[in-house]
Amino acid sequence: MTHEALTRVPRETRFPLNLAVTIPAIDRLYEESKRDIWAPATDVDWASGELAAVTEAQLQAARQVWSRRAWLEYTGIAETPALLLRFCLERDREVDAKYFLTVRNTEEAQLVDVFHGYAELLGGYLVRPVDPAWEAVINRRCHSDALNPEVPLDAYVAAHCALEDGLELELFRAYLANAREPLARKLLARSVADKTRHAGFGWSYLEWRADSLSPSARSEVLLALVDWLCKVAFSGYHVPSLATVIDSAPEQRAQEMTAAAGLGAATATQEEQLFRDYLATARRRLQALGIELPAVSHRRLGPL
Amino acid sequence: MSLANETFRSILAQPESCFPLELGKRNSEIGKLLRASLTTQWNPATIIDWDGMDLRPFTQEQRQALRVRWSRRAWGEYGAIAESPALQIRFCHERLDTDTRLYFAIRTQEESRHAEVSYRLAEKFGGFIDGPAEEYRGSVSTHGIRRQALDADFPVECTMAALVCSAEQIILENFMHVAKLTIQPDIHRVYQMILRDEARHCAFGWYFMASRIPQLNAAEKNRVGEAVATMIEQVELNGYQLAWLAPDSPASRAQIDSDRILWQGGLGASTEELEKPVFLASLRRIRDRMDSEWGILLPKFFHPKTGEI
Repeated sequence: MTHEALTRVPRETRFPLNLAVTIPAIDRLYEESKRDIWAPATDVDWASGELAAVTEAQLQAARQVWSRRAWLEYTGIAETPALLLRFCLERDREVDAKYFLTVRNTEEAQLVDVFHGYAELLGGYLVRPVDPAWEAVINRRCHSDALNPEVPLDAYVAAHCALEDGLELELFRAYLANAREPLARKLLARSVADKTRHAGFGWSYLEWRADSLSPSARSEVLLALVDWLCKVAFSGYHVPSLATVIDSAPEQRAQEMTAAAGLGAATATQEEQLFRDYLATARRRLQALGIELPAVSHRRLGPL
Repeated sequence: MSLANETFRSILAQPESCFPLELGKRNSEIGKLLRASLTTQWNPATIIDWDGMDLRPFTQEQRQALRVRWSRRAWGEYGAIAESPALQIRFCHERLDTDTRLYFAIRTQEESRHAEVSYRLAEKFGGFIDGPAEEYRGSVSTHGIRRQALDADFPVECTMAALVCSAEQIILENFMHVAKLTIQPDIHRVYQMILRDEARHCAFGWYFMASRIPQLNAAEKNRVGEAVATMIEQVELNGYQLAWLAPDSPASRAQIDSDRILWQGGLGASTEELEKPVFLASLRRIRDRMDSEWGILLPKFFHPKTGEI
């Protein structure tokens, strides 16, 4: 057996088991999720799509955009259970976070289903990117990182649940704002409701932990945030136009056409502006927690 | 990091790509379970009028017994949050059909609400107990599912057959039995809600196995049979679910006594005399079904309290 084939998985010490509410803000999100229930098969009228006036070219563009959305959402189907396991493996982690992650995963499963369903309506879901270079960008294996004992949990949550999920929320708000087609609007409104809670979870957890982070843990958080920006955000994972090693022109054209058709997308220009604005907000928010996120340089856009 | 680690050949270390990401490949039976789960959700916070619940009819002895009973249930349900999600990672790794991958997400959420409602009940009746007595801990602490699910050398069919079609099937049938004996309306309601979810969880296991068994060769089927036998011998017959099967100790005796108090009051528990035939019948049904549907013959089991099964 090679060293590479081995993985160290943390051992659990389950007892004493604390199941009391510890983080009220996350408990509220959990309770809200339990009340805000819906089912794609029964609560979405899949025949209500108004696509007759949409051109074939716009449909083709939109099916690419919505297929990509399904691929990105699918990441959570393995990542969230891994993160939940990690919370359970670490001693004294809060049950509110664990419970919330269970509902988050249900919501992710529903969103995968609806993004796939809408891509099908638009002409057919695509099982992979047209340009294979995107596969490495999208295939992030977050579940492995979430269970890697060498990746500190607080740093993981800060980068992936606070900073990343916050960006995702802003992007979905922009998609919704541009959507005119009623079914796309409905699906995106659902997505925004779920993603508001997901981002709320990440930031609430970081805020909860911030005061208790040691200087070295704080450095780990900072490293994870910078690493995420450089390796994930700048790779074009969420905002394709940020990619500098892949030609994102086809994705940008698809976004443009989808947005123009009112099918729920944002143009590359809108996304980049949104990214800058969000980063500024996130930086202030992190600063309030004593985390000074430095400027990070993007090859095309310069320091951000 | 405050963690010890264990090392094995894990799926997490294997190369993996989600592409091509097939989302149209469905399992219609599991898809029905997914839709049923999504449309019949319930909320532990509101399923009972917690503030209005009148505790005066309960004796101090009954309250303590309820506290013990539901703390124990919470420990067990928590295990499904702390371990079983690893199966979902495995399903993705093995690129199983979409319904299997998506269903397990809500299945874990259902386990979290079982843990939550159990905790709330324990709190209501005097306070959740944060862990079993030391000598009882071995019976209730883990099934080893997380490790199995992530272990590249342990087939997922073995885990599913052992955990879902055996252990969960046994507890489902025990719950059905206990629910019939329960006359206190709030507790009865909780059992009904949990039962509804657990029935789907078990159905999922059998549907899953029905789709996989035709692809297994004789040696692989043997491994499935061995995994089921291990689960029954080392977990179930060790008292993971039923206290009277646990090794004799002051803690297991206390659990048995407190269950008797609850049974007498119709408060959601049973006794060894009543549970034993239910347990034996469950095991026989599981054996017959695995034989007839999978062609897998389980060995005879033995426990001092039951004799040969």
